[in-house]
Amino acid sequence: MDRSLFRANARLEKARLAVVLGDVEAGRREMQQSQHDAAGARDCWIAVGLDAQIRPQSSHPVIVAGRELALWRGETGPAKVWDDQCPHRGMRLSFGFVRDGTLRCLYHGWGYGEDGRCVSIPAHPELAPPKTICAGAHAVATKYGIIWSNLSAARAATVPEIPAVTDWRPVRSLYIHRSAAVVLAGIAAFDYGAPAEPATPAADVYVVTLGAQTQLLLALQPVEANKTGVHIASSGVDATADRLALVRQMHSLRDAIEAGTGPSR
Amino acid sequence: MTVTTDAVALGEWVACGWPGKVPVGGHWDTVILGQQVRATRTAADSYEVFTLDRTGTPGRQLPVQSRYCCIFTTLSEPKRPLPEISEFAEPDRRLVNSGCVGVNTSPYRLIENFLDMAHFPFVHTDILGAEEQTEVASYKVEHRKEVDEIWATDCQFFQPAASKAATGGQMTKYVYRIMSPFSIMLYKTVHGDPGRNDAICLFIQPRDETDCLAYMPMALVDAVSTTESMIDFQQTIFLQDRVILENQRPALMPLDLTAEIPTKADVGSVTFRRWLKQSGIWFGTSEKAAA
Ligand code: FES
Ligand SMILES: [Fe+2]
Repeated sequence: MDRSLFRANARLEKARLAVVLGDVEAGRREMQQSQHDAAGARDCWIAVGLDAQIRPQSSHPVIVAGRELALWRGETGPAKVWDDQCPHRGMRLSFGFVRDGTLRCLYHGWGYGEDGRCVSIPAHPELAPPKTICAGAHAVATKYGIIWSNLSAARAATVPEIPAVTDWRPVRSLYIHRSAAVVLAGIAAFDYGAPAEPATPAADVYVVTLGAQTQLLLALQPVEANKTGVHIASSGVDATADRLALVRQMHSLRDAIEAGTGPSR
Repeated sequence: MTVTTDAVALGEWVACGWPGKVPVGGHWDTVILGQQVRATRTAADSYEVFTLDRTGTPGRQLPVQSRYCCIFTTLSEPKRPLPEISEFAEPDRRLVNSGCVGVNTSPYRLIENFLDMAHFPFVHTDILGAEEQTEVASYKVEHRKEVDEIWATDCQFFQPAASKAATGGQMTKYVYRIMSPFSIMLYKTVHGDPGRNDAICLFIQPRDETDCLAYMPMALVDAVSTTESMIDFQQTIFLQDRVILENQRPALMPLDLTAEIPTKADVGSVTFRRWLKQSGIWFGTSEKAAA
Protein backbone atom coordinates (compact mmCIF):
# COMPACT_ATOMS: atom_id res chain seq x y z
CA MET A 1 0.00 0.00 0.00
CA ASP A 2 2.86 2.34 0.85
CA ARG A 3 4.53 1.71 -2.46
CA SER A 4 1.43 2.53 -4.45
CA LEU A 5 0.98 5.69 -2.42
CA PHE A 6 4.50 6.64 -3.42
CA ARG A 7 3.61 6.04 -7.04
CA ALA A 8 0.48 8.08 -6.63
CA ASN A 9 2.48 10.86 -5.03
CA ALA A 10 4.93 10.83 -7.90
CA ARG A 11 2.11 11.10 -10.40
CA LEU A 12 0.56 13.88 -8.42
CA GLU A 13 3.87 15.70 -8.31
CA LYS A 14 3.90 15.65 -12.08
CA ALA A 15 0.36 16.89 -12.23
CA ARG A 16 1.26 19.61 -9.80
CA LEU A 17 4.10 20.83 -12.01
CA ALA A 18 1.73 21.02 -14.93
CA VAL A 19 -0.74 23.23 -13.14
CA VAL A 20 -0.48 26.85 -14.15
CA LEU A 21 -2.41 28.53 -11.40
CA GLY A 22 -1.85 30.67 -8.37
CA ASP A 23 -1.11 29.90 -4.75
CA VAL A 24 -3.45 29.39 -1.94
CA GLU A 25 -3.05 31.12 1.35
CA ALA A 26 -5.53 30.34 4.04
CA GLY A 27 -6.48 32.25 7.15
CA ARG A 28 -8.77 30.86 9.78
CA ARG A 29 -12.24 31.44 10.97
CA GLU A 30 -12.85 32.88 14.39
CA MET A 31 -14.79 29.82 15.40
CA GLN A 32 -12.01 27.40 14.54
CA GLN A 33 -9.60 29.57 16.46
CA SER A 34 -11.58 29.48 19.67
CA GLN A 35 -11.96 25.72 19.31
CA HIS A 36 -8.21 25.31 18.97
CA ASP A 37 -7.48 27.56 21.90
CA ALA A 38 -9.87 25.53 23.95
CA ALA A 39 -7.85 22.54 22.83
CA GLY A 40 -4.94 24.06 24.72
CA ALA A 41 -2.68 26.24 22.57
CA ARG A 42 -0.40 28.02 25.04
CA ASP A 43 0.50 31.67 24.60
CA CYS A 44 4.13 31.10 23.65
CA TRP A 45 6.35 31.21 20.58
CA ILE A 46 7.46 27.88 19.23
CA ALA A 47 10.20 27.33 16.67
CA VAL A 48 8.75 25.62 13.61
CA GLY A 49 11.67 25.69 11.16
CA LEU A 50 14.77 27.42 9.87
CA ASP A 51 13.97 30.37 7.67
CA ALA A 52 16.58 29.33 5.09
CA GLN A 53 14.94 25.94 4.65
CA ILE A 54 11.61 27.27 3.48
CA ARG A 55 12.15 28.13 -0.16
CA PRO A 56 10.03 30.69 -1.96
CA GLN A 57 6.87 29.15 -3.49
CA SER A 58 6.73 26.08 -1.29
CA SER A 59 4.41 24.63 1.35
CA HIS A 60 5.37 22.06 4.01
CA PRO A 61 3.66 20.08 6.76
CA VAL A 62 4.68 20.89 10.33
CA ILE A 63 3.30 19.41 13.55
CA VAL A 64 3.34 21.30 16.84
CA ALA A 65 2.14 19.33 19.86
CA GLY A 66 0.04 17.09 17.64
CA ARG A 67 -1.50 19.95 15.74
CA GLU A 68 -1.10 19.86 11.96
CA LEU A 69 0.12 23.07 10.35
CA ALA A 70 1.16 24.22 6.89
CA LEU A 71 4.37 26.28 6.73
CA TRP A 72 4.60 28.10 3.41
CA ARG A 73 6.16 31.03 1.64
CA GLY A 74 5.08 33.07 -1.37
CA GLU A 75 7.43 34.38 -4.07
CA THR A 76 8.89 36.76 -1.50
CA GLY A 77 8.32 37.84 2.08
CA PRO A 78 8.18 36.02 5.38
CA ALA A 79 6.94 32.46 5.85
CA LYS A 80 3.36 31.83 7.02
CA VAL A 81 1.96 29.29 9.45
CA TRP A 82 -1.60 28.15 8.87
CA ASP A 83 -3.83 25.33 9.98
CA ASP A 84 -3.18 22.41 7.65
CA GLN A 85 -6.80 22.25 6.59
CA CYS A 86 -8.61 23.97 3.75
CA PRO A 87 -11.90 25.54 4.87
CA HIS A 88 -13.64 24.12 1.78
CA ARG A 89 -13.35 20.35 2.16
CA GLY A 90 -10.52 19.94 4.66
CA MET A 91 -7.63 19.13 2.30
CA ARG A 92 -4.24 19.68 3.91
CA LEU A 93 -2.83 23.00 2.70
CA SER A 94 0.72 21.70 3.06
CA PHE A 95 -0.02 19.85 -0.20
CA GLY A 96 -0.90 23.17 -1.83
CA PHE A 97 1.10 25.09 -4.38
CA VAL A 98 2.08 28.74 -4.52
CA ARG A 99 1.28 31.05 -7.41
CA ASP A 100 1.03 34.82 -7.61
CA GLY A 101 1.50 35.30 -3.88
CA THR A 102 -1.40 33.03 -2.99
CA LEU A 103 -1.45 29.49 -1.62
CA ARG A 104 -3.68 27.22 -3.67
CA CYS A 105 -5.30 24.14 -2.30
CA LEU A 106 -4.50 21.02 -4.29
CA TYR A 107 -8.04 19.64 -4.23
CA HIS A 108 -10.14 22.33 -5.93
CA GLY A 109 -7.57 25.07 -6.35
CA TRP A 110 -9.09 27.62 -3.99
CA GLY A 111 -6.60 30.48 -3.62
CA TYR A 112 -5.82 32.17 -0.32
CA GLY A 113 -4.03 35.52 0.01
CA GLU A 114 -1.30 36.19 2.56
CA ASP A 115 -3.81 37.33 5.18
CA GLY A 116 -5.61 33.99 4.89
CA ARG A 117 -8.59 35.27 2.97
CA CYS A 118 -9.95 33.22 0.12
CA VAL A 119 -9.43 35.19 -3.08
CA SER A 120 -10.36 32.69 -5.78
CA ILE A 121 -12.68 29.76 -6.28
CA PRO A 122 -11.87 28.27 -9.70
CA ALA A 123 -15.21 26.44 -9.99
CA HIS A 124 -16.82 29.89 -10.08
CA PRO A 125 -14.36 32.23 -11.82
CA GLU A 126 -16.88 35.11 -11.90
CA LEU A 127 -17.61 34.95 -8.20
CA ALA A 128 -15.87 37.20 -5.67
CA PRO A 129 -15.35 34.84 -2.70
CA PRO A 130 -17.21 35.95 0.44
CA LYS A 131 -14.91 37.71 2.91
CA THR A 132 -15.83 35.20 5.60
CA ILE A 133 -13.94 32.36 3.88
CA CYS A 134 -10.60 32.37 5.59
CA ALA A 135 -7.84 29.86 6.28
CA GLY A 136 -6.49 29.58 9.83
CA ALA A 137 -3.50 31.93 9.94
CA HIS A 138 -1.27 32.09 13.03
CA ALA A 139 1.13 34.72 14.28
CA VAL A 140 4.62 34.29 12.81
CA ALA A 141 7.96 35.95 13.53
CA THR A 142 11.34 35.36 11.92
CA LYS A 143 14.23 35.92 14.29
CA TYR A 144 17.76 34.48 14.61
CA GLY A 145 17.18 32.69 11.30
CA ILE A 146 14.37 30.70 12.91
CA ILE A 147 10.64 30.83 12.11
CA TRP A 148 8.54 31.09 15.28
CA SER A 149 4.81 30.80 15.63
CA ASN A 150 2.33 31.52 18.40
CA LEU A 151 -0.75 29.33 18.07
CA SER A 152 -2.80 30.97 20.79
CA ALA A 153 -5.24 33.79 20.18
CA ALA A 154 -3.90 35.77 23.16
CA ARG A 155 -0.46 36.51 21.72
CA ALA A 156 0.70 38.51 24.72
CA ALA A 157 4.01 36.64 24.88
CA THR A 158 7.00 37.92 22.93
CA VAL A 159 9.53 35.98 20.88
CA PRO A 160 12.39 34.86 23.17
CA GLU A 161 14.97 37.65 23.54
CA ILE A 162 18.59 36.66 23.03
CA PRO A 163 20.74 39.72 23.70
CA ALA A 164 24.12 40.64 22.18
CA VAL A 165 24.24 38.26 19.26
CA THR A 166 23.17 39.58 15.86
CA ASP A 167 24.83 37.27 13.35
CA TRP A 168 22.99 33.98 13.79
CA ARG A 169 23.46 31.54 10.93
CA PRO A 170 21.28 28.48 10.37
CA VAL A 171 22.87 25.10 11.07
CA ARG A 172 20.32 22.28 10.85
CA SER A 173 16.91 21.12 11.98
CA LEU A 174 17.03 17.78 13.74
CA TYR A 175 14.09 15.55 14.58
CA ILE A 176 14.66 13.38 17.63
CA HIS A 177 12.45 10.49 18.71
CA ARG A 178 12.23 11.61 22.32
CA SER A 179 10.01 13.96 24.33
CA ALA A 180 10.91 17.65 24.58
CA ALA A 181 11.85 17.21 28.25
CA VAL A 182 14.28 14.38 27.45
CA VAL A 183 15.74 16.35 24.55
CA LEU A 184 16.24 19.42 26.74
CA ALA A 185 17.98 17.34 29.40
CA GLY A 186 20.14 15.75 26.70
CA ILE A 187 21.14 19.14 25.34
CA ALA A 188 22.14 20.25 28.85
CA ALA A 189 24.15 17.09 29.50
CA PHE A 190 25.97 17.03 26.15
CA ASP A 191 29.73 17.51 26.03
CA TYR A 192 30.33 20.29 23.48
CA GLY A 193 34.11 19.84 23.65
CA ALA A 194 34.68 23.23 25.26
CA PRO A 195 33.62 24.85 28.49
CA ALA A 196 29.93 25.57 27.92
CA GLU A 197 27.83 28.24 29.56
CA PRO A 198 24.20 27.35 29.12
CA ALA A 199 21.25 29.69 29.31
CA THR A 200 17.55 29.16 28.79
CA PRO A 201 16.02 32.49 27.72
CA ALA A 202 12.61 30.82 27.37
CA ALA A 203 11.02 27.46 27.82
CA ASP A 204 12.16 25.14 25.04
CA VAL A 205 14.99 27.48 24.01
CA TYR A 206 18.60 26.74 24.89
CA VAL A 207 21.65 28.93 24.26
CA VAL A 208 25.13 27.49 24.69
CA THR A 209 28.13 29.82 24.86
CA LEU A 210 31.41 28.11 23.99
CA GLY A 211 34.47 30.20 24.77
CA ALA A 212 34.59 33.86 23.84
CA GLN A 213 33.22 33.75 20.30
CA THR A 214 30.90 30.88 19.71
CA GLN A 215 27.25 30.54 20.57
CA LEU A 216 24.69 27.92 19.67
CA LEU A 217 20.95 28.48 19.74
CA LEU A 218 18.80 25.38 20.01
CA ALA A 219 15.05 25.94 19.79
CA LEU A 220 12.73 23.03 20.47
CA GLN A 221 9.53 22.12 18.66
CA PRO A 222 7.43 19.56 20.52
CA VAL A 223 5.99 17.43 17.70
CA GLU A 224 4.32 14.50 19.38
CA ALA A 225 4.69 12.88 22.77
CA ASN A 226 7.82 11.10 21.61
CA LYS A 227 9.15 13.34 18.88
CA THR A 228 10.85 16.71 19.12
CA GLY A 229 12.30 19.06 16.50
CA VAL A 230 15.43 21.05 17.31
CA HIS A 231 16.17 24.08 15.14
CA ILE A 232 19.78 25.11 15.49
CA ALA A 233 21.54 28.39 14.68
CA SER A 234 25.13 29.39 15.40
CA SER A 235 27.15 32.53 15.85
CA GLY A 236 30.93 32.75 15.48
CA VAL A 237 31.26 29.56 13.46
CA ASP A 238 32.10 30.70 9.96
CA ALA A 239 34.85 28.63 8.36
CA THR A 240 33.37 25.90 6.18
CA ALA A 241 35.29 23.16 7.96
CA ASP A 242 34.08 24.41 11.33
CA ARG A 243 30.50 24.48 10.14
CA LEU A 244 30.72 20.93 8.85
CA ALA A 245 32.21 19.83 12.17
CA LEU A 246 29.35 21.56 13.97
CA VAL A 247 26.77 19.71 11.88
CA ARG A 248 28.49 16.41 12.71
CA GLN A 249 28.49 17.34 16.37
CA MET A 250 24.77 18.10 16.27
CA HIS A 251 24.11 14.72 14.69
CA SER A 252 26.02 13.06 17.48
CA LEU A 253 23.94 15.11 19.93
CA ARG A 254 20.83 13.58 18.37
CA ASP A 255 22.32 10.08 18.40
CA ALA A 256 23.32 10.46 22.06
CA ILE A 257 19.83 11.56 23.06
CA GLU A 258 18.19 8.74 21.11
CA ALA A 259 20.65 6.21 22.49
CA GLY A 260 19.97 7.57 25.95
CA THR A 261 23.66 7.27 26.81
CA GLY A 262 24.02 10.69 28.34
CA PRO A 263 27.08 12.91 27.69
CA SER A 264 29.17 12.20 24.60
CA ARG A 265 30.99 13.96 21.81
CA MET B 1 -12.03 -3.46 15.98
CA THR B 2 -15.63 -4.05 16.98
CA VAL B 3 -18.71 -4.28 14.84
CA THR B 4 -20.61 -1.00 14.62
CA THR B 5 -23.89 -0.60 16.47
CA ASP B 6 -25.17 1.82 13.81
CA ALA B 7 -28.42 0.17 12.71
CA VAL B 8 -28.62 2.28 9.54
CA ALA B 9 -25.16 1.23 8.37
CA LEU B 10 -25.81 -2.39 9.33
CA GLY B 11 -28.93 -2.42 7.14
CA GLU B 12 -27.07 -1.72 3.90
CA TRP B 13 -25.66 -4.08 1.30
CA VAL B 14 -21.90 -3.71 1.13
CA ALA B 15 -19.31 -5.11 -1.26
CA CYS B 16 -16.88 -7.62 0.22
CA GLY B 17 -15.06 -9.04 -2.82
CA TRP B 18 -15.56 -9.97 -6.45
CA PRO B 19 -16.50 -13.11 -8.38
CA GLY B 20 -13.48 -15.16 -9.27
CA LYS B 21 -11.38 -13.69 -6.48
CA VAL B 22 -10.53 -17.24 -5.37
CA PRO B 23 -10.82 -20.67 -7.10
CA VAL B 24 -13.86 -22.85 -6.38
CA GLY B 25 -13.57 -24.20 -2.84
CA GLY B 26 -11.37 -21.31 -1.75
CA HIS B 27 -12.26 -18.55 0.69
CA TRP B 28 -11.11 -15.15 1.86
CA ASP B 29 -11.44 -13.35 5.17
CA THR B 30 -12.28 -9.70 5.32
CA VAL B 31 -14.01 -7.12 7.50
CA ILE B 32 -17.24 -5.17 7.01
CA LEU B 33 -18.35 -2.41 9.41
CA GLY B 34 -15.93 -3.75 12.00
CA GLN B 35 -17.19 -7.34 11.68
CA GLN B 36 -14.79 -10.08 10.61
CA VAL B 37 -16.38 -12.26 7.86
CA ARG B 38 -15.36 -15.22 5.70
CA ALA B 39 -16.52 -15.57 2.08
CA THR B 40 -16.30 -19.00 0.47
CA ARG B 41 -16.67 -19.83 -3.21
CA THR B 42 -18.80 -22.97 -3.07
CA ALA B 43 -19.27 -23.35 -6.85
CA ALA B 44 -18.38 -21.45 -10.02
CA ASP B 45 -21.07 -18.83 -9.41
CA SER B 46 -21.97 -19.41 -5.80
CA TYR B 47 -20.64 -17.76 -2.67
CA GLU B 48 -21.38 -18.05 1.05
CA VAL B 49 -20.52 -15.49 3.70
CA PHE B 50 -20.35 -16.15 7.45
CA THR B 51 -19.43 -13.92 10.33
CA LEU B 52 -16.29 -14.94 12.22
CA ASP B 53 -15.85 -14.53 15.95
CA ARG B 54 -12.61 -13.43 17.58
CA THR B 55 -11.19 -16.95 17.50
CA GLY B 56 -11.98 -17.28 13.78
CA THR B 57 -14.92 -19.63 14.32
CA PRO B 58 -17.75 -19.16 11.80
CA GLY B 59 -20.97 -17.76 13.28
CA ARG B 60 -24.17 -16.86 11.45
CA GLN B 61 -24.62 -17.03 7.70
CA LEU B 62 -25.20 -13.74 5.89
CA PRO B 63 -27.19 -13.03 2.72
CA VAL B 64 -25.07 -12.87 -0.46
CA GLN B 65 -25.56 -11.48 -3.95
CA SER B 66 -23.13 -11.55 -6.83
CA ARG B 67 -23.84 -8.63 -9.14
CA TYR B 68 -22.05 -5.83 -10.99
CA CYS B 69 -18.68 -7.63 -10.73
CA CYS B 70 -18.93 -7.61 -6.92
CA ILE B 71 -19.98 -9.91 -4.09
CA PHE B 72 -22.37 -8.09 -1.74
CA THR B 73 -23.44 -9.03 1.75
CA THR B 74 -25.21 -7.40 4.69
CA LEU B 75 -25.08 -7.78 8.46
CA SER B 76 -28.76 -7.06 9.08
CA GLU B 77 -32.13 -6.82 7.31
CA PRO B 78 -31.47 -4.62 4.26
CA LYS B 79 -34.01 -1.85 4.00
CA ARG B 80 -33.42 -1.44 0.28
CA PRO B 81 -32.54 -3.90 -2.51
CA LEU B 82 -29.35 -3.61 -4.52
CA PRO B 83 -29.81 -0.90 -7.16
CA GLU B 84 -30.85 -1.77 -10.69
CA ILE B 85 -28.07 -0.94 -13.14
CA SER B 86 -29.31 -2.11 -16.52
CA GLU B 87 -26.10 -1.30 -18.42
CA PHE B 88 -24.39 -4.35 -16.93
CA ALA B 89 -26.88 -6.54 -18.83
CA GLU B 90 -26.39 -4.97 -22.28
CA PRO B 91 -24.75 -7.55 -24.56
CA ASP B 92 -22.16 -5.30 -26.22
CA ARG B 93 -20.85 -3.79 -22.96
CA ARG B 94 -17.32 -4.44 -21.78
CA LEU B 95 -17.57 -5.26 -18.09
CA VAL B 96 -14.37 -4.24 -16.37
CA ASN B 97 -13.54 -5.42 -12.88
CA SER B 98 -10.41 -3.80 -11.51
CA GLY B 99 -10.37 -5.36 -8.04
CA CYS B 100 -10.22 -2.98 -5.13
CA VAL B 101 -8.00 -0.30 -3.63
CA GLY B 102 -7.62 0.49 0.08
CA VAL B 103 -8.26 4.08 1.16
CA ASN B 104 -7.93 5.41 4.67
CA THR B 105 -10.84 7.78 4.97
CA SER B 106 -14.55 7.76 5.65
CA PRO B 107 -16.78 6.12 2.99
CA TYR B 108 -18.59 9.42 2.45
CA ARG B 109 -15.41 11.34 1.59
CA LEU B 110 -15.00 8.73 -1.17
CA ILE B 111 -18.57 9.22 -2.40
CA GLU B 112 -18.17 13.00 -2.45
CA ASN B 113 -14.90 12.80 -4.34
CA PHE B 114 -16.56 10.59 -6.96
CA LEU B 115 -19.43 13.08 -7.25
CA ASP B 116 -17.16 16.09 -7.58
CA MET B 117 -16.25 17.74 -10.89
CA ALA B 118 -14.51 20.81 -9.44
CA HIS B 119 -11.35 18.83 -8.64
CA PHE B 120 -10.75 17.53 -12.19
CA PRO B 121 -8.43 20.36 -13.32
CA PHE B 122 -6.30 20.14 -10.18
CA VAL B 123 -6.15 16.46 -9.30
CA HIS B 124 -6.56 14.92 -12.78
CA THR B 125 -4.75 17.67 -14.69
CA ASP B 126 -4.79 17.22 -18.48
CA ILE B 127 -6.86 14.05 -18.20
CA LEU B 128 -10.28 14.80 -16.73
CA GLY B 129 -9.78 18.56 -16.52
CA ALA B 130 -7.58 21.44 -17.64
CA GLU B 131 -6.49 24.48 -15.72
CA GLU B 132 -7.87 26.84 -18.39
CA GLN B 133 -11.41 25.51 -17.91
CA THR B 134 -12.17 25.16 -14.22
CA GLU B 135 -15.74 26.42 -14.15
CA VAL B 136 -18.46 24.09 -12.90
CA ALA B 137 -21.70 24.97 -14.68
CA SER B 138 -24.82 24.70 -12.57
CA TYR B 139 -26.44 21.29 -12.53
CA LYS B 140 -29.59 19.78 -11.02
CA VAL B 141 -29.77 17.63 -7.92
CA GLU B 142 -32.83 15.76 -6.76
CA HIS B 143 -33.75 13.22 -4.13
CA ARG B 144 -35.77 10.53 -5.92
CA LYS B 145 -37.96 9.47 -3.07
CA GLU B 146 -39.45 6.37 -4.70
CA VAL B 147 -35.99 4.74 -4.80
CA ASP B 148 -34.39 6.88 -2.07
CA GLU B 149 -31.51 7.82 -4.36
CA ILE B 150 -29.84 11.16 -5.05
CA TRP B 151 -29.42 12.07 -8.71
CA ALA B 152 -27.30 14.88 -10.12
CA THR B 153 -28.19 15.59 -13.73
CA ASP B 154 -27.20 18.07 -16.48
CA CYS B 155 -23.59 17.93 -15.30
CA GLN B 156 -20.91 18.76 -17.83
CA PHE B 157 -17.23 19.44 -17.79
CA PHE B 158 -14.51 20.07 -20.37
CA GLN B 159 -12.09 17.14 -20.47
CA PRO B 160 -8.80 16.92 -22.38
CA ALA B 161 -8.69 13.07 -22.31
CA ALA B 162 -11.96 11.81 -20.84
CA SER B 163 -11.36 8.07 -21.21
CA LYS B 164 -9.07 5.46 -22.70
CA ALA B 165 -10.98 5.76 -25.99
CA ALA B 166 -10.84 9.58 -26.19
CA THR B 167 -8.58 11.11 -28.85
CA GLY B 168 -8.94 14.77 -27.90
CA GLY B 169 -10.70 17.27 -25.67
CA GLN B 170 -14.48 17.12 -25.31
CA MET B 171 -17.32 18.52 -23.27
CA THR B 172 -18.26 15.45 -21.23
CA LYS B 173 -21.79 15.08 -19.90
CA TYR B 174 -22.26 13.34 -16.59
CA VAL B 175 -25.14 11.97 -14.57
CA TYR B 176 -24.38 10.93 -11.00
CA ARG B 177 -26.46 8.59 -8.95
CA ILE B 178 -25.95 8.00 -5.21
CA MET B 179 -27.60 4.65 -4.53
CA SER B 180 -26.75 4.15 -0.87
CA PRO B 181 -24.36 5.64 1.69
CA PHE B 182 -21.76 3.20 0.35
CA SER B 183 -22.44 3.20 -3.39
CA ILE B 184 -22.50 5.71 -6.21
CA MET B 185 -22.26 5.51 -9.98
CA LEU B 186 -21.95 7.82 -12.91
CA TYR B 187 -23.00 7.80 -16.52
CA LYS B 188 -20.71 9.71 -18.84
CA THR B 189 -20.67 10.56 -22.53
CA VAL B 190 -19.20 7.82 -24.67
CA HIS B 191 -16.46 8.95 -27.00
CA GLY B 192 -17.84 8.85 -30.56
CA ASP B 193 -21.37 7.75 -29.58
CA PRO B 194 -23.24 10.58 -27.87
CA GLY B 195 -26.38 8.42 -27.68
CA ARG B 196 -24.88 6.08 -25.09
CA ASN B 197 -23.23 6.37 -21.70
CA ASP B 198 -20.40 4.57 -20.01
CA ALA B 199 -21.51 3.35 -16.59
CA ILE B 200 -18.90 3.48 -13.83
CA CYS B 201 -19.67 2.39 -10.27
CA LEU B 202 -17.99 2.93 -6.96
CA PHE B 203 -18.93 0.37 -4.33
CA ILE B 204 -17.33 0.90 -0.95
CA GLN B 205 -16.54 -1.80 1.55
CA PRO B 206 -16.27 0.05 4.87
CA ARG B 207 -13.95 -2.13 6.93
CA ASP B 208 -14.11 0.49 9.63
CA GLU B 209 -15.05 4.14 9.96
CA THR B 210 -11.96 5.46 8.19
CA ASP B 211 -10.69 2.28 6.53
CA CYS B 212 -12.32 1.44 3.22
CA LEU B 213 -11.87 -0.73 0.17
CA ALA B 214 -13.09 0.81 -3.08
CA TYR B 215 -14.39 -1.32 -5.97
CA MET B 216 -14.92 0.35 -9.30
CA PRO B 217 -16.66 -1.95 -11.77
CA MET B 218 -17.45 -0.44 -15.17
CA ALA B 219 -19.79 -1.29 -18.04
CA LEU B 220 -18.21 0.47 -21.01
CA VAL B 221 -19.01 0.98 -24.67
CA ASP B 222 -15.51 0.55 -26.06
CA ALA B 223 -14.72 -2.19 -28.55
CA VAL B 224 -11.15 -1.05 -29.11
CA SER B 225 -9.16 -0.52 -25.91
CA THR B 226 -7.62 -3.49 -24.12
CA THR B 227 -9.05 -4.39 -20.74
CA GLU B 228 -5.63 -3.84 -19.21
CA SER B 229 -5.41 -0.29 -20.56
CA MET B 230 -8.92 0.52 -19.31
CA ILE B 231 -8.03 -0.74 -15.83
CA ASP B 232 -4.77 1.17 -15.93
CA PHE B 233 -6.57 4.39 -16.86
CA GLN B 234 -9.04 3.98 -14.01
CA GLN B 235 -6.31 3.16 -11.50
CA THR B 236 -4.22 6.17 -12.53
CA ILE B 237 -7.22 8.39 -11.84
CA PHE B 238 -8.04 6.67 -8.59
CA LEU B 239 -4.51 6.83 -7.19
CA GLN B 240 -4.54 10.57 -7.83
CA ASP B 241 -7.76 10.78 -5.84
CA ARG B 242 -6.38 8.65 -3.03
CA VAL B 243 -3.64 11.17 -2.26
CA ILE B 244 -6.37 13.75 -1.73
CA LEU B 245 -8.72 11.45 0.15
CA GLU B 246 -6.16 10.36 2.72
CA ASN B 247 -5.15 13.95 3.40
CA GLN B 248 -8.53 15.52 4.11
CA ARG B 249 -9.05 16.60 7.71
CA PRO B 250 -10.92 15.35 9.55
CA ALA B 251 -11.18 11.93 7.93
CA LEU B 252 -14.63 11.44 9.46
CA MET B 253 -17.35 13.21 7.50
CA PRO B 254 -18.74 16.32 9.22
CA LEU B 255 -22.50 16.29 8.72
CA ASP B 256 -22.91 19.69 10.33
CA LEU B 257 -23.22 21.84 7.22
CA THR B 258 -21.36 24.75 8.84
CA ALA B 259 -18.24 22.67 9.57
CA GLU B 260 -16.94 23.12 6.03
CA ILE B 261 -17.71 25.75 3.40
CA PRO B 262 -19.49 24.61 0.24
CA THR B 263 -20.19 26.65 -2.89
CA LYS B 264 -22.70 26.21 -5.70
CA ALA B 265 -20.57 23.51 -7.30
CA ASP B 266 -20.98 21.47 -4.11
CA VAL B 267 -24.77 21.27 -4.20
CA GLY B 268 -24.47 17.51 -4.79
CA SER B 269 -22.29 17.12 -1.71
CA VAL B 270 -24.58 19.31 0.38
CA THR B 271 -27.62 17.26 -0.64
CA PHE B 272 -25.73 14.07 0.14
CA ARG B 273 -24.74 15.27 3.63
CA ARG B 274 -28.30 16.34 4.38
CA TRP B 275 -29.61 12.97 3.18
CA LEU B 276 -27.05 11.12 5.35
CA LYS B 277 -28.02 13.19 8.36
CA GLN B 278 -31.72 12.55 7.83
CA SER B 279 -31.08 8.82 7.53
CA GLY B 280 -29.72 8.84 11.08
CA ILE B 281 -26.45 7.18 10.07
CA TRP B 282 -23.47 8.05 12.26
CA PHE B 283 -20.91 5.41 11.32
CA GLY B 284 -17.99 7.24 9.62
CA THR B 285 -19.25 10.71 10.58
CA SER B 286 -18.02 13.18 13.18
CA GLU B 287 -21.54 13.39 14.64
CA LYS B 288 -21.18 10.64 17.19
CA ALA B 289 -21.58 12.94 20.17
CA ALA B 290 -25.09 13.71 18.97
CA ALA B 291 -25.94 10.06 18.27
S1 FES C 1 -10.66 21.33 -0.18
FE1 FES C 1 -9.37 22.98 -0.62
S2 FES C 1 -10.22 23.82 -2.38
FE2 FES C 1 -11.58 22.22 -1.91
FE1 LIG D 1 -11.16 12.32 -8.87
